[in-house]
Amino acid sequence: MAGDFLSFKEKGSVLNRIYPLVKMIWVLLIAVGLFLFKTPFSGGVMFVLILTLSMAGGKISPKEILRSALIVFGLGFLLMIFHFFFDPGEVVWSWYFLTITDYGLIQGPIFFFRLSVIVLSSFLLIWTTDTRDLMTSFIKAGMPYRYAYTIFLAMRFLPLIQKEVDAVQSAHAIRGRASGSGLSHRFKLWQRYVFTILINGIRKAEITADALECRAFGYKKQRTCVKDVTFRKRDLVLPILTLLILAGLIYMEHIRWIDIFGL
Amino acid sequence: MAVIAELKNVSFQFDQDSPKVLNNLSLTLETGSFNILVGPGGSGKSTLCHMFNGRIPHLFNGVLDGEILIEGTSTADVEMKDISCSVGSVFQDPESMFATLSVEDEIAFGPENLLFSREEILESVESLLTLTGINAYRHNLVWNLSGGQIQKLGLAAVLAMKPRLIILDEPTANLDPLATKQVHELILKLKNEGITILLVTRELDDFMASADNILVLEKGSLIASGEPYSLLMKHGLQMEQLGIWLPETVEIGLALIKAGYSLDRIPITVDETLAILNKLELCPEGRTLKGPEKVYSQHGSPLIQAENVRFSYGGGIYAIKGISLDIYPGEMLAIVGRNGAGKSTMARLLIGLNKCKEGTLELFGKNSRHWKVPNLSNHISLVFQNPEHQFLTDSVAQEIEYSLQAQGVYDKDTLEKERNRILTMLNLEQEKDSHPFALSAGNKRRLGVATMLVGDPQVLIVDEPTYGQDKEMTGTLMKLMKEIQSRGIAVVMISHDMRLVEEYADRVVVFSEGQKHFDGIPTELFNKADILERASLQPTLLFQLLKRLEEKKVNCTGHVPGSDAFLQLLLNKGMAS
Repeated sequence: MAGDFLSFKEKGSVLNRIYPLVKMIWVLLIAVGLFLFKTPFSGGVMFVLILTLSMAGGKISPKEILRSALIVFGLGFLLMIFHFFFDPGEVVWSWYFLTITDYGLIQGPIFFFRLSVIVLSSFLLIWTTDTRDLMTSFIKAGMPYRYAYTIFLAMRFLPLIQKEVDAVQSAHAIRGRASGSGLSHRFKLWQRYVFTILINGIRKAEITADALECRAFGYKKQRTCVKDVTFRKRDLVLPILTLLILAGLIYMEHIRWIDIFGL
Repeated sequence: MAVIAELKNVSFQFDQDSPKVLNNLSLTLETGSFNILVGPGGSGKSTLCHMFNGRIPHLFNGVLDGEILIEGTSTADVEMKDISCSVGSVFQDPESMFATLSVEDEIAFGPENLLFSREEILESVESLLTLTGINAYRHNLVWNLSGGQIQKLGLAAVLAMKPRLIILDEPTANLDPLATKQVHELILKLKNEGITILLVTRELDDFMASADNILVLEKGSLIASGEPYSLLMKHGLQMEQLGIWLPETVEIGLALIKAGYSLDRIPITVDETLAILNKLELCPEGRTLKGPEKVYSQHGSPLIQAENVRFSYGGGIYAIKGISLDIYPGEMLAIVGRNGAGKSTMARLLIGLNKCKEGTLELFGKNSRHWKVPNLSNHISLVFQNPEHQFLTDSVAQEIEYSLQAQGVYDKDTLEKERNRILTMLNLEQEKDSHPFALSAGNKRRLGVATMLVGDPQVLIVDEPTYGQDKEMTGTLMKLMKEIQSRGIAVVMISHDMRLVEEYADRVVVFSEGQKHFDGIPTELFNKADILERASLQPTLLFQLLKRLEEKKVNCTGHVPGSDAFLQLLLNKGMAS
């Protein structure tokens, strides 16, 4: 099912219970921290920690993690290989025109961990947070609900688009191939996918916008929230602990690890 | 009685140069009344619905004359969100109107906007989940619901806002018979609760007798309105001529009038029809109405042979659980059953989009596993329910050319000649330069059929051939199917419309929960109450009437494919073949 992929899972986990806005801030903290790291050690530590947190704190199984994040890990791996061969620095290995540099060997894993950790922590936010609760926490933080709802509507459209793509793909498959080469045929098909999905997407979006008006969306500046979310002080433990770990890792980089790598 | 909505001399055109969609329309809806709006395709029904919920004038640009009053206030003087406090609208495709992810949240969405108290909303969610019968799905994601559940949720979401007037635009257009029946029961329940309803529908069988007011629209003008019985008496024949779907019982009444009989009123229910036939002494006890025997005969060897086919999309749940089915040249085969019965999966197996891994599926003398989809498409074609999904080019002519090129026709002269032949055959010459997406619904379906007929397939599968069409267009499309069949092509229609099946199909197969429960002629199927019940199908009103006549010792034998055929038998005019 399209809707089951990378979607919220209520498992009664510790992370399920944390205030959504706090989790959002936590993801931002991790992203900033990852960009400050200068050695692959720190990224590696964070990677292991986030994986452990996903399984222990979020009750997400390794299979679920792999199913959603495999493509990201793959991209990160390619990015790492790219850095191995294309970064400047002292050549440590060469074969014909292929060369690997010492700088590339450090930068490659840094980029792999940066991408993987940021994406994995974002996935963890999605897996453990009901979008409605996230929206409510935004509204409680002072965001007008008309804007907060845009996140919600984007989520609502994903499965509809997936359904549309499946239907168009099936319908086109049985039309056969008119153009000469396989490549030009594929290009033509993709053109039509985009056209059909765009046209139908616009139609659906128009209907949804009209429907929102018909359902009193924006009737008053405030609205009732039937399902409320409550902030508790202990929710701050996660970002504070993460901040301490990030600070510790950056400190370790400066006093020891940077020297190890000769940076 | 108090008036909840009133239109005073309303005309509307989408822009200054386009023709008027609504023309000097005046009408009133009384508080607590149940109103049904009918009219042929393109008569302005949906546009009229937009008048009540404020989409016109607030969302659609256009030229509006006249005044629309809801509870005495002009819709032009208030914002849409204010109108939504009094008027609730369930759109044709309620899935597109959902704004949240789960069933409960969706029902709460409207009242949350209206600042109802939390306790009031929770109470209302509970009662509406019960009223609509979707309590078991309260935590489901909205995109995991079935068609019927989506419609019920659409209704619940609107009812939660406590509107005084509800507009329902074709709420059961694409539902299977069981879901349709459930939604119809729900609408009748609302009527009994005193909510004012305006319902646009072509399925009048369940509603006509319960309506307080029927509004007939034609080319944007209200040509008739009033209580059903007197309206049918005065305007029934005109409604029939306009191509409006009427219950078969009404068709019988109108045909009796045409035949010169004098009736006090047009019958709507089976009981009323029976009473009139008795009064006119047309069906005395012991009379035999003998229709021609319909014997299904197969021509030649089967094109498709499915033997104990099973198919699963994964997760150990089987969509097809051991179905055997043969398809023969030149037959009109109907596949019927509930949503999720396995009909579409079977169609996907037949055209090669899914591969048969369990059981044997022989397609045109070769195992299905050895066919590639593009090669198979020369032998079997599928017209999708939404033909837009199939279009690949920017004009009608190019669509046909694309299909010809896919068959290997590249010579310019042959291409042009063949293209013109197909355009003429499907009466699409006038539209050859139009964009496929800009065609009318009927022409889109014709083009869908045209692109699939190009390779002279041996089997043509059509998913809901007359979905959303009025009676006239249905007749035209089914005539086209008959023509295709007469060329020796096997036409397989997947449909929920039992009147269509009764009238046109040579053979019908019934699927239920991935299994085949019946394979035979339609008349035989209607006699199998247990199978109809298992597959959630409903016999036509005509068949119900024939059964009641049988109870009164009026014997009706043979094939009676519709009210016209019944009347011919009744009036001893012989049977149309």
